[in-house]
Amino acid sequence: MLATQLKYDLIMFSRELFYLIFSIIVPPVTYIFMGQLFGEDTYAGGLSYVEMYTPSFIILITFSVVFFAFGFDQVMNRSTGVEKRIGISPVPQRTILLSGIIKSIIITSFGFVLIHAIGMVVYNLTFNPITFLVSYGFFILLNAVLLVISSAVYSLFRDLKSALIFSILIFQVVMFTGDFSLPVAQMPTFIQVIANINPMYHVNHLFIDVWNSQLIFNNDTWTSIGVIMLVFVAALIVIRWNRRKV
Amino acid sequence: MKIIDVKGLEKSYGNLQVLKGLDFETNAGEIIGVIGMNGAGKSTFLEILMTIKDYDRGDVTIFGHNLKGISMDQLISLRKDISVVLQPTQFYKSLKVEELLRLFKAYYQSDIEIGQIIDDFQLEQHRKSFFEKLSGGWKQKVSLAIAFLSEPKLIILDEPTTGLDPHMRNVLWSYIVDYNQKKGGTVILTTHYMDEIELYCDKVMLIDNGVNKIFEKTEDILSLGYRSINDFYLSKV
Repeated sequence: MLATQLKYDLIMFSRELFYLIFSIIVPPVTYIFMGQLFGEDTYAGGLSYVEMYTPSFIILITFSVVFFAFGFDQVMNRSTGVEKRIGISPVPQRTILLSGIIKSIIITSFGFVLIHAIGMVVYNLTFNPITFLVSYGFFILLNAVLLVISSAVYSLFRDLKSALIFSILIFQVVMFTGDFSLPVAQMPTFIQVIANINPMYHVNHLFIDVWNSQLIFNNDTWTSIGVIMLVFVAALIVIRWNRRKV
Repeated sequence: MKIIDVKGLEKSYGNLQVLKGLDFETNAGEIIGVIGMNGAGKSTFLEILMTIKDYDRGDVTIFGHNLKGISMDQLISLRKDISVVLQPTQFYKSLKVEELLRLFKAYYQSDIEIGQIIDDFQLEQHRKSFFEKLSGGWKQKVSLAIAFLSEPKLIILDEPTTGLDPHMRNVLWSYIVDYNQKKGGTVILTTHYMDEIELYCDKVMLIDNGVNKIFEKTEDILSLGYRSINDFYLSKV
């Protein structure tokens, strides 16, 4: 049953233009485009464009998949009555949830490999198997954290329109305050304040550190871990509270 | 054989009590129409029977299982014998009809061949159509096909023919009656079309003010002197 559900979940993802554009098309295109503009620049920690933005765009794809194809998709199924119809069927909820999680991991892993491949072809990114595997392991951990946060956030929505507006809005917020486009350090102070409370900013920076084998447990790292854990725990509380309401 | 037994069912939404002690029972093979004004509690009652809505007080026993305190595994097992058609029925919009049938075949672990269901419900012309592109009538036809895929002992239909033209209503009813006669399955439905109650239902339950005001055989109601079930309904609400 899980295999059948997963098969159709992946088919449905491939047919949803909205998900495809925001998760598989926009991030790689932006990665290439920005590289043409800022490819020669040097970033914080002496990182080159490819060292800074290859992991960033992998995280951006992950964000898009986890928040749109996983979280927003749940609201769509809830608001259109699909969730209710499936709920009446003799399929365990954990099967549906597990399928959604595996689907997200497959697609985000595809994004991981895609951005990496573009980096190698376009920007001469070197392939280091150990770094690649360590980064992938950490990436899966971040995937799990983001899936929980996404599930909690979208469990608050019953109406598709408000979920859509919210999704478009947070995509913009994450793009500009997550260090995915222009460096936050070059932006106005209020943007930097928002960035510091944006968990995606911290997820991004932790992953950049791991990707470049630069992870050291200093104040910045602990702050990032702290913000992510805070949001993660809040998300678990929201999920538990919502379950109790049912 | 009694398959559903409901006693003193109560359900409130906040301060609004929708069901106030409803009693109901049905035997295998019966077709029962549940009628009542909008907001009378018909859908709430059906959703409790569908096992997707909790209730406050009373006893609901389906196939011998009391729903209070039932485990999730028992509930999933129970749902294998129950199928539903909702109004409006929605399925994954980006799946095609045949794909939906295959998905639900997996859910219900049904042995029925997809080709047979497509033949039985004459779905061939739409097997490659996306569900969301179908007309209302075809959507309901596909919903019925999915509902019958599991050969359920009980099928619950919430206004299955609302908004359909007379031809499509007739087509859907022919499937429902056929299922009832050949498989001996029990059908519980709500509808606002009183002619359907008169033509097809063995019993009628009128829900009014949260209780079953009338629960009688259709022929017994008509023998009281009402010209039609519609006349009976209008005289009672």
